[in-house]
Amino acid sequence: MKHIICLLLVLSVCFGGIAQTQLDSIQSLDEVVLSDVKLKQYAPGFKIEVLKDSVLRTNAQSLTGLLAFNSNIYFKENGNGMVSSPSFRGTNASQTAVIWNGIPINSQLNGQTDFNTINTTHYNDIAIRSGGGSVQYGSGAIGGSIHLNNTLLFKPHFDTTMRLGYGSYDTKTGSVSSAIGSDRWSVNVGLAYNASENDYPYLGTTKKNVNGAYNNLDLNLNLGYFISDNDVLKLYHQHFIGNRDFSGTVATPSQSHYEDKNYRSLIEWSHLAKAFNYQLKVAHLQEHFKYFGTQSTSNFSYGKVNTLIVKPSFNFRFSRKIKLQTSVDYTKYDAEGTSFGTPSRSNVSATALLNHKVSRAFSYGVNLRKDFTSTFSNPLVFSVDTEYAVTKHYSLQLNGSRNYRVPTFNDLYWQPGGNLDLIPESSYQVDLGQQLSFGFAQLKLNGYFIKTSELIVWKPNSIGLWSPVNIASTQSYGAEIEGHAEVHFKSHYFKLDGHYSYTVSEDTNTKKQLIYVPFHKANFSIAYSYKKLALFFQHAFNGDVFTTEDNLKGRLTSLPSYDVSNLGLEYSLYNKGNNTLSLGGTINNVFNKSYQSVAFRPMPNRNFNIQLHYKF
Amino acid sequence: MKNILLPVVALLLLTFSCSSDDDTFYEEEVVAPLGAYEDGILVSSEGGPSSIAFISEDLSTSENTIYYNVNNEDLGVYLQSIGFNNDLAYIVTDSNNTITIVNRNTFEKVGAITTGLELPRYISFLNGKGYVSNWGDPNDATDDFIAVIDLATNTVESTVPVGEGPERILANDNKLFVSHKGGYGSNNIISVVHANSTVVNTITVNDNPDEMIMNNSGQLVVLCGGKEAWSGTETLGSITKINVTNNTVISNHEFPMGVHPNLMDYGNGNLYFQTSDNKIYSMTDADTSLPTTSILELTTGYTYGMAVKDNRLFVADASFTSQSEILVYDLSTATQTHSFDAGIGASKIYFN
Repeated sequence: MKHIICLLLVLSVCFGGIAQTQLDSIQSLDEVVLSDVKLKQYAPGFKIEVLKDSVLRTNAQSLTGLLAFNSNIYFKENGNGMVSSPSFRGTNASQTAVIWNGIPINSQLNGQTDFNTINTTHYNDIAIRSGGGSVQYGSGAIGGSIHLNNTLLFKPHFDTTMRLGYGSYDTKTGSVSSAIGSDRWSVNVGLAYNASENDYPYLGTTKKNVNGAYNNLDLNLNLGYFISDNDVLKLYHQHFIGNRDFSGTVATPSQSHYEDKNYRSLIEWSHLAKAFNYQLKVAHLQEHFKYFGTQSTSNFSYGKVNTLIVKPSFNFRFSRKIKLQTSVDYTKYDAEGTSFGTPSRSNVSATALLNHKVSRAFSYGVNLRKDFTSTFSNPLVFSVDTEYAVTKHYSLQLNGSRNYRVPTFNDLYWQPGGNLDLIPESSYQVDLGQQLSFGFAQLKLNGYFIKTSELIVWKPNSIGLWSPVNIASTQSYGAEIEGHAEVHFKSHYFKLDGHYSYTVSEDTNTKKQLIYVPFHKANFSIAYSYKKLALFFQHAFNGDVFTTEDNLKGRLTSLPSYDVSNLGLEYSLYNKGNNTLSLGGTINNVFNKSYQSVAFRPMPNRNFNIQLHYKF
Repeated sequence: MKNILLPVVALLLLTFSCSSDDDTFYEEEVVAPLGAYEDGILVSSEGGPSSIAFISEDLSTSENTIYYNVNNEDLGVYLQSIGFNNDLAYIVTDSNNTITIVNRNTFEKVGAITTGLELPRYISFLNGKGYVSNWGDPNDATDDFIAVIDLATNTVESTVPVGEGPERILANDNKLFVSHKGGYGSNNIISVVHANSTVVNTITVNDNPDEMIMNNSGQLVVLCGGKEAWSGTETLGSITKINVTNNTVISNHEFPMGVHPNLMDYGNGNLYFQTSDNKIYSMTDADTSLPTTSILELTTGYTYGMAVKDNRLFVADASFTSQSEILVYDLSTATQTHSFDAGIGASKIYFN
């Protein structure tokens, strides 16, 4: 391992010496404003969809609500606002990585991110990167990754946005955020609060969602400062505190209560020399949960992990066409919890990303990474990707990669059952994409194949002790379509977005479709605005899913498909200079459909929300 | 441009035409209740979702989800056990703190006990009252209790505090014997609760006492699992015989280290038990030591329930991610004769 790191360092110095001295102004801008440059600069052959501006503003504030209607990703939610997990290209919930400003934030305890514990309000953009990303983002980036990005603007500005909302089930939302800056410094600060009784009726029954109340608070603070003309120091901090009563199933109401606390901080120093840049990132993450079995008990179980990441990286630009990023990161995890004592582990990884733009039309990337973990060995992972613009309007993208997911602290140390003999899951994939783009419209078509082995599965052994084992292997393949179009016509503006995916994801041995992976998923949204009025309509279709492994169609073994639609309207009451005030309303589940995304856990009926939005 | 659009359109068409799925996917299978469940075998599956399956006495027919088929509602999770009293069956589901009462022959719901229980496990009956073991808050070792049920009003009329983790409950004469498997932890006592009294005596046995039966000699036989090696401190499992008159241990048959008894039933004057190496042994009342040779080696993945009637051994091979299987063996030939599907997490087998 030392050799690889030394080699990288030596290479860094050598290349630093010979690198040419041309600075691409766009790249330097990226390095100034973006927190995750490699998302943009080292992925020519990957499909990346970026959601921002009006999409972030008009959609639900939870990451689940946003992505269910605006991406190819399928979600299952244990009732509205409860634990939510994705299936990206047929993979499981711990095979989608969530990346906050370039730092992976999936829980070290269960390997997943609960998408209802991410508030989207304060991100400048949210990117969906399809396909394997273990080289760039480490463990868990198998189906794809979701990137939560804050950008810092270095020019004189001062904007404040306030939002207040109220809706069905006593749902209250409020947020305030400000961005202030000059040529040398930049500050973003934001606070968002959500609370709901969430006691919606279960359609078709006399029951309602008891014990489903939640509230959460999200605080964001991002700072940037030019120490000198070539050195910029940035600080990102995010703080999420969530309280939820976990609702049960139709037949088994629950009494449990769950508290989440997540703290994330990142300090980044970037040196912006012309051909040889370097950067140092230091991040601290803390995840902490408490689970109470009943409302009245003071007994709880808990888990807590502190993660420290130190990551120096070196960027070389040999010419306008060839660039290389090398980095070495050191990560230390310290966990403690009711069911697993106080384990810790450390990890060192060495990464090299090469990007070569051969011509205006053709570019490719070659990327390598090797991790060294204190408790198990990791595979050498790689990815190659390429983009070729066949014509001005038509391009092809191709990528292939090897990816992995490490066993979690729960898998290794849970008492009883934890298995110290586990090894990382290993996955290979290829992804071919085609893109058609015209000024007003864009269409993407992708086909992919993913093969994963050594999957970690918890199952009871012969004496009934549940324990995880590297037992299963799966393969997923499918096709995705993504389309966008916008039209301006006089004062009218139309925007159309749609996604469709066909997914086969099966156990390699049994050839059965994995549970909770629909063959078909589609969504579309239409936005229209005219002068002071803006309207949107969005619709999502989720196909049937099996809920047990035997792939039987029936009440206890599968869930029917469902359609759900939302309608929204916004009217500008006042608009003068920088001051705007608007009033909006949303009707969720317009057609009052009864549906479940997880068996026996009904989702809300038709519900309403009004919002006041003030900007100055 | 046309050259490019054409294949793209073709691909789109192909994708959508492939997507025409089986439209009948969700037309629900209508299962008409077979009618009477008065004889035959009932299999309860923990879930989730929980369910109860019925197998006819002659093993010719079976029906899954009989409670739902009759009552058009689900029972909730996790279905721990069923107790029988006269014409009624009492279905104990722990997470929703509920006992659902049905007519055992028709499975029509006649009532429910929904208050006063906290993680209920098993129910037994004595002198016209029901007695239910409850874990209380599973993280609290001091709040476990037996709920006394007024069977006329189906309400909890009183509670009797007992030690940590009460499990099975067996009525005999004027006493109730409660095995304390220990809930989330481990325990090693049998509580003796006297009817109409809060006096509780305890009998110390090996760790993790679970199933109990009265044998034909009038002895209480207790299966004690012992602590498994994974718990850190392995202890011996045993089959313990208890004198129910003076609450003393008559004999204690311990298993060697590494082998733990899991399941037990009694039939034909023989005790049958299953061990952690998935073998079935039988033992007569008169035997003074544990048998050394098994009568059957099971090939099930996870043996979660077992019952014996006449010459048949019923075994639940439980799955928690797909349907479970009930296997029937002929004890005289030690061969499997039948198999049936059951719900998720099939755990208990009862003879109606």
